[in-house]
Amino acid sequence: MPVIQFKEALRAAMIEEMERDENVFLLGEEVGEYNGAYKVSEGMLARFGPRRVLDTPISEAAFTGLGIGAAMCGLRPIVELMSWSFSLVCFDQLVNNAANIRYMSGGQFKIPIVFRGGNGIAHQLGATHSHRVDALFSRVPGLTVVAPSCPYDAKGLLKSAIRSDDPVIFLESEVMLNDRGEVPDEPYTLPIGRAYVRREGSDVTFICWSKMVKLCMAAAEKLQSEDGISAEVIDLRTLRPLDEDTLVSSIRKTNRCVVVDEDWPYCGMGAGIVERLYRRVFDDLDAPIGRVCCEDVPVPYNHYLEQAMQPSVPKVIAAAREVCYV
Amino acid sequence: MPFEITMPQLSDTMTEGTVVKWHVREGDPVKPNQEIADVETDKATMPMESYEGGTLAYIAAPEGTRVKVGGLLGVVAVPGEDPAEIRKAAGADGASKPSAPVAPSGDDVKGPSEIRPAELSVRPKQAPPAGEPRERLRVSPLARRIAQEKGIDLLKVRGSGPGGRIVRKDVEEFAAAAARPAAAPAQTPPPSLPMPVPRGQSKTVPLSKMRTAIATALQRSKQMVPHFYETIDIDMEAVAALRQRMNQKLEKEQVRLSVMDFVYKATAAALLRHPRLNARFNAEKNELTQYGDVNLGIAVAIPDGLIVPVLRGIDQLGLKEIRLRSLDIFERARAQRLRREELSEATFTVSPLGNYGIRHFSAIINPPEVAILAVGSAEPRAVVRDGQVVARMTMSVTLSADHRAVDGAVAAEFLSTLRELLEEPAMMLA
Repeated sequence: MPVIQFKEALRAAMIEEMERDENVFLLGEEVGEYNGAYKVSEGMLARFGPRRVLDTPISEAAFTGLGIGAAMCGLRPIVELMSWSFSLVCFDQLVNNAANIRYMSGGQFKIPIVFRGGNGIAHQLGATHSHRVDALFSRVPGLTVVAPSCPYDAKGLLKSAIRSDDPVIFLESEVMLNDRGEVPDEPYTLPIGRAYVRREGSDVTFICWSKMVKLCMAAAEKLQSEDGISAEVIDLRTLRPLDEDTLVSSIRKTNRCVVVDEDWPYCGMGAGIVERLYRRVFDDLDAPIGRVCCEDVPVPYNHYLEQAMQPSVPKVIAAAREVCYV
Repeated sequence: MPFEITMPQLSDTMTEGTVVKWHVREGDPVKPNQEIADVETDKATMPMESYEGGTLAYIAAPEGTRVKVGGLLGVVAVPGEDPAEIRKAAGADGASKPSAPVAPSGDDVKGPSEIRPAELSVRPKQAPPAGEPRERLRVSPLARRIAQEKGIDLLKVRGSGPGGRIVRKDVEEFAAAAARPAAAPAQTPPPSLPMPVPRGQSKTVPLSKMRTAIATALQRSKQMVPHFYETIDIDMEAVAALRQRMNQKLEKEQVRLSVMDFVYKATAAALLRHPRLNARFNAEKNELTQYGDVNLGIAVAIPDGLIVPVLRGIDQLGLKEIRLRSLDIFERARAQRLRREELSEATFTVSPLGNYGIRHFSAIINPPEVAILAVGSAEPRAVVRDGQVVARMTMSVTLSADHRAVDGAVAAEFLSTLRELLEEPAMMLA
C-alpha cells in the first residue's frame, strides 16, 4: 500500500471528490496561486482552474459567508481556514448561519459545506494563533465535527465530510501535515460518527483524537512494558456526534478511563465527553475518570512553557497509573 | 451551610476528648479528607479528617481544650461562604457555641449501638476496616457492584484506594480469601524510657489521659464486677512441635508463628463452643448479649499504660493471618495510631505476660465483657506423667470471670475445652 503524507491524503480526497462531483470547489486564503499556506492544495489550481480553486482576501467572515451562501444554492464548497484560530472572526457565520439555516428554514436549505484547517497548538505561534476549537463547535447542534489522526482517516473522513449534506467542521493540525501513513489507491470513505479502537487493552481506556492519538499510543506502549498495564486506545475520529457506544463498551471492559485532549480543562472537549459517559458507566468504574489536557492558561510563546502546558506522554502515564491505583 | 466539626466518639468508652493539635489555622483552606487535627481520647491520639472542603472559619476548641463527644470543635465555611461572617456568627451566636468543659467522669459508657452517625462529623484517617456501619463507606461503583454480585459484606473489606476507597482489587482479593500479608507497618520510634527520679527527690506528675482512663475503668470494674478466678495448666508440647513444623514451612514466606498465636486461635475456637463467655453484660438492662463472632481484645503494654487493640472476627482467621494482623495492630498500638474500630467492641480479652517470664497472674475484667484470660509463659516444668517426673512444656492460664454473667462450672468447661484444643491442636479443625 502506498505511504503518503497527511496533507497528500487531504489533497487526494479533495481531488477525488472534485472530479466526482462538479459542484465541489475549494476556496480560502492562499489555496490557489500560493498552492496552499501549508501546501495542502498544491497543484489544484493548475488542475481545476480558478473557477473551482478560489483565492480569497483575508476576510474570514466574508468568504465563509460566501461558502454558506453557495451551499444554500446547491454547491458543495470546501472552505480552508489557514488556522482554526481565525474562525473566531467568522464565528457568527459558522454558528449562526452554517449550523442553523437548515433548522431555521424548516429544512428548505441544506448546507453541504466543509470548513477545514489547522487546529490547536502548533509550535510557538503564540496564544492567539494556538486555539483549540474542538469544544467550541462540538457543542453546537447542527454541526458535525471531525478530527482525524492519520492520513488514512484524513482521506476517508474528508471524502465523507464533502458528501455530507450538513456543515462539517474538519479539524487538522499543522504539526501532523507531514505525518506519513498507508493509504490505498482505491477510493474509500470512512463513516462519520464512529470511533476506532486503535489498540486493544484490558486495564484502562484512553479516549483521544487528532494528534493526541500518537501520544496515547506511545504512553500505552510504555505502560505495557513498565507497569504491565494494558491500555486500550480509542481514536474518536468524530467529536460530534460522539460514538458513545464504542466508548461505553470499552470502559465496561477496562473499568477505568482517561480522556486525553489538548483543550483547556474547564468546559473543554474532554469535560464534555466525561459528562456524557458518567451516567452510563458509573457502576462500571473502579476509579473516577481521569483527564489529561492543557493547563488552564493562555498558550505561552516560550517553547518550554508551551511544551509544559500541553499533554505529554509522562502526564498520560501518570494519569493511567492513578486510575489503576499503582 | 457552614459545616460544624464536632468531637467524634472514637471508642466505646470515650465521653470526651482533648484537641492536642490543630493542623490548620483559622482562615486556612481545608480540603475534603485533609487531616485537620489530632484528638486525644482516653485510649490514643488519633488524626482526624474533615468530610468537607472549604475554609476553616472558626476554631471553637483551641489546642488543649477538653470537649465532650458531640461538642463543637470548629466551623468550616464551604466554598461561596464568607469565613469572616461565619466566624463572627459562631463567636456571637448561641446556636454554635463551644461546648462547656466537661466534668471528669467514667460514667455514661456508651455501647456501640448508641453511637449516632451524626456524631461522626470527622473521622479517623485511613481505611474503614471491618466493623459496624458507622460512617459512609467509600467504595468504587465497580467494587460495590462486584461485592453485590458475590455477596460480599463490604464492611469487612479494607479499602486500599485514596481515602480508604474500596476498589475492585480489594473486593477480589477478599473474595479469593488469598490472605495476602498486609504491607509491613511503618517503623515506629522505640518507646522512650521514663525519666528516673533523682535520689533524694520526688516527682509528682498529673496522670495522663490514658492513665486516668485505666484508673477509672479498672477501679470501677474491680468494685462493680464480682470476679472469680480459675487456673488451669496446659501441656504445650503438641503446640511447640506443631509450631516448629509450621514455621519451617512458613519460613519462605517470612512468617514466624508465636505460641500466643495458637493461644489466640484456640481461645477463639473455645469461645465459639462456650458463647456465654463471648459476651457482654448489661447490668442496667439485666441483659447478657452473646456473639456469634469473636472479636478478641489483646492487652498490649505501651509506655505509661496499656491498650487493648481488637482482632475482629479472629475465629475466621488462619494462624498466619492472626500473626500478620496482630503484628500490624501491635505496632500501631505502640505508635498510638489505631483506628477507632480497632479499639472497640471486643467480646473477650486475652492478657499475655508470658514474655516477661510470668508464670501465673489474674487479670481484671474489662466490662462490659464478662471474662478475661491471663496467659503465663510456656516453659519446661517438672510434671508427673505415668508415675514419672518428666520435663514438659507447660503453660498456666487464669480466667477471670464475672459471676453475674457466668458460673464456675461454665468457666471450667471453657478452660477444659481450651486445654483440649491446645493439647491436641488438630481438634481445632473439628
